[in-house]
Amino acid sequence: MAGSLTGEERRTCLLILGVLALCALGIAVPGRWDPIGVHGLMVVLLCAGAAGYLLLRLNVPEPSPEELSGYYDAPIKVGVGLTMAWAIFGMFVGVWVAAQLAWPDLTFHQAWSSFGRLRPAHTTGVIFGFGGNALITTSYHVVQRTSRAPLADRVSPWFVLFGFNLFCLLAVTGYAMGLTQSKEYAEPEWYADIWLVIVWVTYFVLFLRTLARRKEPHIYVANWYYLAFIVVVAILHIVNNLAVPITLASAKSYTVWPGVQDAMVQWWYGHNAVAFFLTAGFLAMMYYYLPKRADRPIFSYRLSILSFWGITFFYMWAGSHHLHYTALPHWVQTLGMSFSVMLLVPSWASAGNALMTMRGAWHKLRDDATLRFMVVAAVFYGLSTFEGSFMAIRAVNSLSHYTDWTVGHVHAGALGWVALITFGSLYTLVPSVWKRQSMYSNALVELHFWLALSGTLIYIFAMWNSGVIQGLMWRTYTENNALAYSFVDSLVAMYPYYIARTVGGFLFLLGAIVGSINIWLTVRRSPASQAAPGVYDRPHDLDPTPNAAE
Amino acid sequence: MSKTEVDPATGEQTTGHEWNGIKELDNPVPRGVLIFVVVTHVFAILWWFLMPAFPLGWTYTRGLLGIDQRATVEQAISANQAERASWTSAIETSSFDQIQADESLMAVVKDTGPQLFGDNCGACHGFDASGRSNYPDLTDGDWLWGDGSAEAVAETMRVGINTSHPESRFAQMPAFGRDGMLASADVRTVARYVYSLSHPEFSTEENLESIAQGESLFAENCSGCHGAAALGDAETGTPNLTDAYWLYGGELDQIIESVHGGRAGHMPTWDERLTPVERKVLALYVHSLGGTTP
Amino acid sequence: MPEFFHRKIERTAIGFVVAIIAAASVGGIVEIAPLFTIDETVENVADMRLYTPLELAGRNVYIQEGCYACHSQMIRTLADEVDRYGPFSLAVESQYDHPMLWGSKRTGPDLARIGGKYSDVWHAAHLNNPRDVVPQSNMPAYSWLARTPLEVDNLGHHLAAQRAVGVPYTDEMIANAARDALGQATPDSDAAFSILDRYGEETQVSAFDGVATSVTQLDALIAYLQVLGQMTDAAYLDTAASELPPDAEDRDVTQAEEERN
Ligand code: HEC
Ligand code: HEC
Ligand code: HEC
Ligand code: HEM
Ligand code: HEM
Ligand SMILES: [Ca+2]
Ligand SMILES: [Ca+2]
Ligand SMILES: [Cu+2]
Repeated sequence: MAGSLTGEERRTCLLILGVLALCALGIAVPGRWDPIGVHGLMVVLLCAGAAGYLLLRLNVPEPSPEELSGYYDAPIKVGVGLTMAWAIFGMFVGVWVAAQLAWPDLTFHQAWSSFGRLRPAHTTGVIFGFGGNALITTSYHVVQRTSRAPLADRVSPWFVLFGFNLFCLLAVTGYAMGLTQSKEYAEPEWYADIWLVIVWVTYFVLFLRTLARRKEPHIYVANWYYLAFIVVVAILHIVNNLAVPITLASAKSYTVWPGVQDAMVQWWYGHNAVAFFLTAGFLAMMYYYLPKRADRPIFSYRLSILSFWGITFFYMWAGSHHLHYTALPHWVQTLGMSFSVMLLVPSWASAGNALMTMRGAWHKLRDDATLRFMVVAAVFYGLSTFEGSFMAIRAVNSLSHYTDWTVGHVHAGALGWVALITFGSLYTLVPSVWKRQSMYSNALVELHFWLALSGTLIYIFAMWNSGVIQGLMWRTYTENNALAYSFVDSLVAMYPYYIARTVGGFLFLLGAIVGSINIWLTVRRSPASQAAPGVYDRPHDLDPTPNAAE
Repeated sequence: MSKTEVDPATGEQTTGHEWNGIKELDNPVPRGVLIFVVVTHVFAILWWFLMPAFPLGWTYTRGLLGIDQRATVEQAISANQAERASWTSAIETSSFDQIQADESLMAVVKDTGPQLFGDNCGACHGFDASGRSNYPDLTDGDWLWGDGSAEAVAETMRVGINTSHPESRFAQMPAFGRDGMLASADVRTVARYVYSLSHPEFSTEENLESIAQGESLFAENCSGCHGAAALGDAETGTPNLTDAYWLYGGELDQIIESVHGGRAGHMPTWDERLTPVERKVLALYVHSLGGTTP
Repeated sequence: MPEFFHRKIERTAIGFVVAIIAAASVGGIVEIAPLFTIDETVENVADMRLYTPLELAGRNVYIQEGCYACHSQMIRTLADEVDRYGPFSLAVESQYDHPMLWGSKRTGPDLARIGGKYSDVWHAAHLNNPRDVVPQSNMPAYSWLARTPLEVDNLGHHLAAQRAVGVPYTDEMIANAARDALGQATPDSDAAFSILDRYGEETQVSAFDGVATSVTQLDALIAYLQVLGQMTDAAYLDTAASELPPDAEDRDVTQAEEERN
């Protein structure tokens, strides 16, 4: 890590750590009787640790001039590790909370491990920890390759990566202490939110400057999506998290948005967190790693345009489908529903564009589990967006809302799409960045694939069943026009499915562990067996001067 | 600057750009997609005309159908009520005896009772109404209030026990020990007496003396409510202490706890939460669980 | 032609960013801004009351424990929900909620109108271990709540922050927040009476968790649960829902309706 930075850059890092530690101290001291004080102290200690690491390595040789002018891959390597670590953490917690719904005493009567506190640790762990790190990591990789330019800066990539992980850490440790704003997918408290803004703006500037240095005249589709992901998430995050802390020495804050308006802002955010975090960012991955691995051209450039702008425009209207039949005025629901239906077109266009890209390469699926990960991901993307648009129809939502059907839909997207495309991308990226011929073991990739696929299918079939049963039991009337079941009847009917879901989730987790081991072994593999670089990276000529066409 | 090529696998043109080896084909948007665009847009636009849809500053377009979710659900509820009227009006106007004599009405009671009981009462009395510690069993035929007739049950439900309802039933067992009305030795003594009432085997030679002591303590302190023979009073909700049915437990320790700390169970009032018909159905349902035949 | 235009913006990163912002802003603005300008969005009712400091603290315990992950507080405009849970929820009922707690998942039942449905004692037992009272339940046991004292000293700051975001707490309420919280959980104390003056006669004063000598997180949470659905009668008026408003016996319904108009 340190070896990839020049002496001056190492000193800049120390300076940043110093400033951050001071700010954290400024929080830790007045907030000492409050959880915010714990967080302040935690950050001070982390900064001290990082500074110690750097100070011990001030004399490590600086990178060579060739290294300085080439692609900057060191943060990518660390990012891969962080991605897999969060995957295992987040999915482990997922299996745990799934098991808690079947065997509620698995909280062991500890506050920090009760369902309500662990569940956001799961969602944050997988969406932000696993998904976010995967997005940052692959964006560093893709933007350099498709721009034929190294990252615009060598300190800020680290700042963004570690700063983002610090945010995730503040979030997850906060939940354990009972800190949350209760806004789904935006639970962290105000100071963590502010920190994320700083990190994100840095990310935006880094990405934009790298694009500006590109040597290709046109910006590649994958980068459109990464840009949309970065820009829109910033807007969503800031608006949804506007809040007034009770004092500056307290972690607790109150959102500025009241009642019904808060509901709309929250689900405008929540739905578009899905759109721009879990969809746009991962489409960016798909647009790079899938054609790369299949070695096929993208099916249609014009279809890419249609789907990109369709997704960017339509998604932002669809959030109110989370509030059908509620106290939100009916007119907003109409808009949410109609735009969700129109949204299906660009969604399927993206999935179709990916699948049509496979023309002439379908035979590769037989032996290449990595490619299979990505193709199956595209199928699940098509499936979950169809399901989403269907569930956005008010009459359907009257059945599905509040039930496990939503959870099934979420995981069709999260496991089938988000996680599978990520694993496929990582299996393409890892050998390329570490300059290995291939992954350590193709058999392990194959095993991972089948564990992931069977886990996903068990999970979503269990939840579809339980969701539909639950929804129907709630609304079934007897022939005397009286409700047929009490709530507890429906709860009792859920237990078998909760157990099945735990099993499916466990298989999926197992797959992620297998994948991590495989990646570890690939990295560890003796460099003697290295392939000539460039199996996946075509030779390139790097020229530090920005492209004149800009 | 950019050279378009032909993709050998499909014979289609590329756009001529390349990013680290990735190219794009210059295929047009497939016709199917365009049709799909048109279909979904036509649907959406139609929907916007028919339904409340777009905001206009201080108001919004109401839609040609004049539909609003609140009016819709009110209609659905009224329609449901109208359909239910086939039996609700009969239940409303008939006496309990009449309903019990009417098989078809009792069939309705057995059909709708379990859900109402499950959503409202089961959390306390158990979903099979068999009660648990602190919450009376409604199937055992032992009643605190009244004779277990459907009327009595319905009245208990309407006003509740120890609630803020103006007509609430009150049943408070004083805290003799905690409030210092009896010394703690006396609390134990009277409890031993009470225990002996339902456990004849407890009256052994060695216990007889203290039981006699307890009996006189009971006569002084308790008989006013529980009656001289400790048989309780269903008019005031005072439990019978001689039988096998216990609300708070009939073990010696539990009895001592009742006498020491007092008791005042809270049964909510359902006057506002449930309609008279629902309460009638529930009362008949509870009654039908066999609680009248101990 | 459109591709030709696209070919142009594809060549400038800044241009592309501007285009993304433009395309992505429309939906949010059209759907959110009018919620503040269209009066109809939130019903206008006269009897809407505020959370007492203890109830607000309880609401924060509800948030802290993530109860919203399993419980909704939003009865939808669907006949079966009205039949099961009571009149559908109105926007005004969460008018002072920062944040709203409508929820998105019903692993447990809706709680929008749970206030008054069960006794304090039941809630205390249920929260301590749900399976003690409902053997089928998969709700976690919250046994630590009864052992964790409620922090009341900073409740004034809480009320002040609430006022900053638009909840009409008075200076007097802010100044007495801690005292009012203690008073509400200690019946017969002096403070218990002054809270009725400030927050209305309807305010429930009780030893919520059964222990009147200390104020715990459990007291606060039960106080909050007991007030859910009781903040205004608005939902009971003008609807076909057959239930009466929560305080029907001492309130003239037609009069309340007049107040509303
Ligand atoms: C003011 C009237 C009153 C007096 C005096 C009174 N009790 Fe009670 N007792 C009650 C009522 C009412 C209950 C039922 C409480 C409830 O339903 O929650 C009760 C309940 C009990 C129970 C619990 C019964 C069960 O089923 O678990 C015991 C035991 C008991 N009383 C014993 C005594 C003894 C012994 C004394 C005298 C020392 C006494 N009571 C004096 C009214 C009284
Ligand atoms: C919050 C808990 C709770 C709920 C919910 C509840 N009850 Fe009760 N119920 C009690 C308690 C406690 C008592 C005993 C009161 C006492 O100690 O005197 C009781 C007593 C009764 C009695 C009197 C029993 C007797 O022996 O006379 C009847 C009948 C009854 N409940 C029926 C119902 C019905 C029907 C429902 C549902 C509509 C219901 N209860 C809901 C707690 C509850
Ligand atoms: C894992 C999911 C879960 C969590 C988390 C949870 N609950 Fe529950 N809750 C349930 C289920 C399931 C039921 C229905 C069974 C029962 O009564 O226990 C329930 C029932 C209830 C009820 C009774 C509702 C009724 O109408 O019968 C209340 C009140 C309640 N919960 C409050 C809370 C509070 C307060 C919290 C947080 C401190 C909480 N719950 C957290 C699942 C949960
Ligand atoms: C090992 C695999 C996983 C298991 C066992 C698992 C389990 C669970 C469980 C039990 C819940 C709570 C559902 C409820 O409240 O009823 C949940 C929620 C959620 N999970 Fe997972 N999960 C897994 C993987 C993932 C992944 C990889 C992602 C995202 C990339 C994800 C995203 C989510 C989201 C967004 C929710 C919230 C859903 C909602 O609020 O409707 N999960 N998960
Ligand atoms: C066309 C695309 C999509 C549409 C129209 C759509 C629509 C919906 C709808 C209607 C709901 C249920 C809301 C409710 O009843 O509460 C929902 C929930 C959800 N969807 Fe999708 N969906 C789409 C794609 C996706 C994808 C690709 C993912 C990826 C993971 C995803 C993740 C989620 C999550 C996490 C939730 C749960 C939100 C919550 O309640 O916490 N969706 N979506
Ligand atoms: Ca936040
Ligand atoms: Ca949710
Ligand atoms: Cu959505």
